[in-house]
Amino acid sequence: MEGESVQQQQERLNQAVQQQLNLEQVKTRAISLFKAISRILEDFDAYARTNTTPKWQDILGQYSMVNLELFNIVDDIKKVSKPFLVYPKNVNADNATILPVMLSTKLLPEMETEDTSKRDQLLQGMQNLPIATQIDKLKARLDMIAGACEGAEKVLADTRKAYCFGTRQGPAIAPTLDKGQAAKIQEQENLLRAAVNVGEGLRLPGDQRHITASLPMHLADVFTVNEGPQSFPEGSSNNVYIKNTPLSSNSMGGQNSLLQNSGSQLLGRSAASPNVATNATFDNTAASPIPYANSPRSSTNMMNTPSPQQQTPQQQQQQPTVQQQQQQQRQKMMQLPQQQQQLLAQQQQFRQSAMQGLGQLHGQHQMQFSQQIGHQQFQGRQLTSGHVQHGIGQSQLNQGNQMARISQFSGAANNALFNAAQTTPNTQMIPNISAGISSQPLLPRMQFGLSGNNPQRNHASQMLSDQMFNMGGGNPGGMMSIQQQQQQQQSSQGAFGGLASNAQNLPSGMMTLQNTQQNHPNFSQQRQQNQQ
Amino acid sequence: MQLKKADMECVVQGIIETQHVEALEILLQGLCGVQRERLRIHEICLKNGPNLGLVASEVRLLCDLEQTEPSWTVRHIGGAMRGAGAEQISVLVRTMVESKVSKNVLRMFYTLGYKLDHELLRVGFSFQFNRGAQITVTVSSVNKMLKLHATDEAVPVTPGIQMVEVTAPASAENYTEVAAAVSSFCEYLAPLLHLSKPGVSTGVVPTAAAAAASLMSDGGGTTL
Repeated sequence: MEGESVQQQQERLNQAVQQQLNLEQVKTRAISLFKAISRILEDFDAYARTNTTPKWQDILGQYSMVNLELFNIVDDIKKVSKPFLVYPKNVNADNATILPVMLSTKLLPEMETEDTSKRDQLLQGMQNLPIATQIDKLKARLDMIAGACEGAEKVLADTRKAYCFGTRQGPAIAPTLDKGQAAKIQEQENLLRAAVNVGEGLRLPGDQRHITASLPMHLADVFTVNEGPQSFPEGSSNNVYIKNTPLSSNSMGGQNSLLQNSGSQLLGRSAASPNVATNATFDNTAASPIPYANSPRSSTNMMNTPSPQQQTPQQQQQQPTVQQQQQQQRQKMMQLPQQQQQLLAQQQQFRQSAMQGLGQLHGQHQMQFSQQIGHQQFQGRQLTSGHVQHGIGQSQLNQGNQMARISQFSGAANNALFNAAQTTPNTQMIPNISAGISSQPLLPRMQFGLSGNNPQRNHASQMLSDQMFNMGGGNPGGMMSIQQQQQQQQSSQGAFGGLASNAQNLPSGMMTLQNTQQNHPNFSQQRQQNQQ
Repeated sequence: MQLKKADMECVVQGIIETQHVEALEILLQGLCGVQRERLRIHEICLKNGPNLGLVASEVRLLCDLEQTEPSWTVRHIGGAMRGAGAEQISVLVRTMVESKVSKNVLRMFYTLGYKLDHELLRVGFSFQFNRGAQITVTVSSVNKMLKLHATDEAVPVTPGIQMVEVTAPASAENYTEVAAAVSSFCEYLAPLLHLSKPGVSTGVVPTAAAAAASLMSDGGGTTL
């Protein structure tokens, strides 16, 4: 029966062959291989369509996997293909001509000639010898080549290890440092990085900051005799800008003690020579060039007003702008006669106690003006050298000074300030005010020290402009004093556009912004962050 | 003063043991294709005094001592970019403004009220080349001066380790490309050292010794 013969034919497959063939497994493997290849083709298609760069590493990985699978399958089938031969089922006109070629095991003519020529090349000189020797010689050759290949493989593997490329088969084996060495190196690294980025370990202590022997060439003409390296007294000023600590009353307390400490320090040095970095901040001015009318140092040009005002000596003392606040105060002191200085000092003291939040600030800088501005001599008041470092505090004092002075010398005809103020129109005195400054500050100004005296009333506007100058000069400290006087929190809009908004309850407003922090308004980082 | 148009920079730092510096130089020579330039820079870091405002600011003056006529540069380094995007970038992007100045710059800053904070001396070499961005690689030993301004008597901060810095100027528009260029260049240096954002420590690379050895040898490999 036909059905039986077919079955018989099917059963004729040798059991052994069948087992060896393991058809099911081969089938699954073939199918998975097919899927993998089609996936790769799809990927390539996608790459071609979207025009993106293919990730070659992934593709190579996939390819190697496919390759491996293919080899395994073909290997398996080769083992069992001997009892089988190809029996073309579907012979028609198309493949009739090509089938014999595909089925033949004979090489194509070109391949055949190539084969024979290679064989001749190989067996050159060995044609005559018996076959056995030929075989031996060929074997020897094979062994040599195999050895060379192995050597090459070894070198490649070693290089791979050394460069940590990794092998396809497994993870790279990397040599490790022993722990002690690693720790030492880590320590050194931290030192180095800190030194380069922050400067740790590079700061010389205060007493070593004098210029010794000879300066190197590039610095030889930088320093004159009177100047010295302007450096912070050790340990003090760097605390002024406390990095990353929030503004709080705690920090205020800390600095108060600092003030007192450095105050006592400076008292001891009150008679210091102008030379070196004893009191840092005042060392950098040489003898005041008073005769120079238009230089920024002279008291004649303390503000950015047009020059006609500077020409009369009586107008020498004018509303100050903020170049340096100490300089302002110094200049003012210079102009005032001695008694007025005393009065002013008293007034300042009064102001001091009236100011909140400044804690234990007791006295003032009293700068007796000697010929050299380069050094100060401090009177018997308790020093607040930290005051120098408190930009705000200083400006508050300035405010107080001006207030005090104006209120005191109501009738003083020889007060050049009033004279000058009287002759100057208002508009000229407010050159630098940004539009954002509110007019509110006028009010508290009125409260201070005003008597019914005419000159003072006239100068209410002067006081405004006076104050304005401090602010317009770019000193947010001026803003602080307004806040303090009003006993409120205000966000001031001074020349720094919102910088002062960080001020909190402390009117001395220690700004703890580090220059590397992101909330410095002058940097465009904030914009960039928004873009992210 | 002439200001560059790029106001930011991408920067990474790394360390390398002094014994491998020569190998690194060979590697860089091969990668960059330019000659190395010797480097001897006296870096003076100034911080502002309180009279200049409330915000602490820091300015660095760099004096190039390698030339016959020392040339000065002033540099201000600002804050780094922050945020999620910045964390994904493997380099540090920060504002940086630099300019050439005359030799009066130190005196000028002192007059303004800046004070000396610290100074250091860098001795080494640098490579400048263009590879997607204008990249500068600096390998230098960082030296400190025990006496003020005594550059001739400087001693290394860490004798066995030198600092490697890769920087490239960038602007707000192109910093992503510049960052990519810098980080892809850094991958070439992976056998010898790891580079990271300033402040992030990396340690030394374990393969450095082997890589250095192979770089230093002449040719290498055995003949079959």
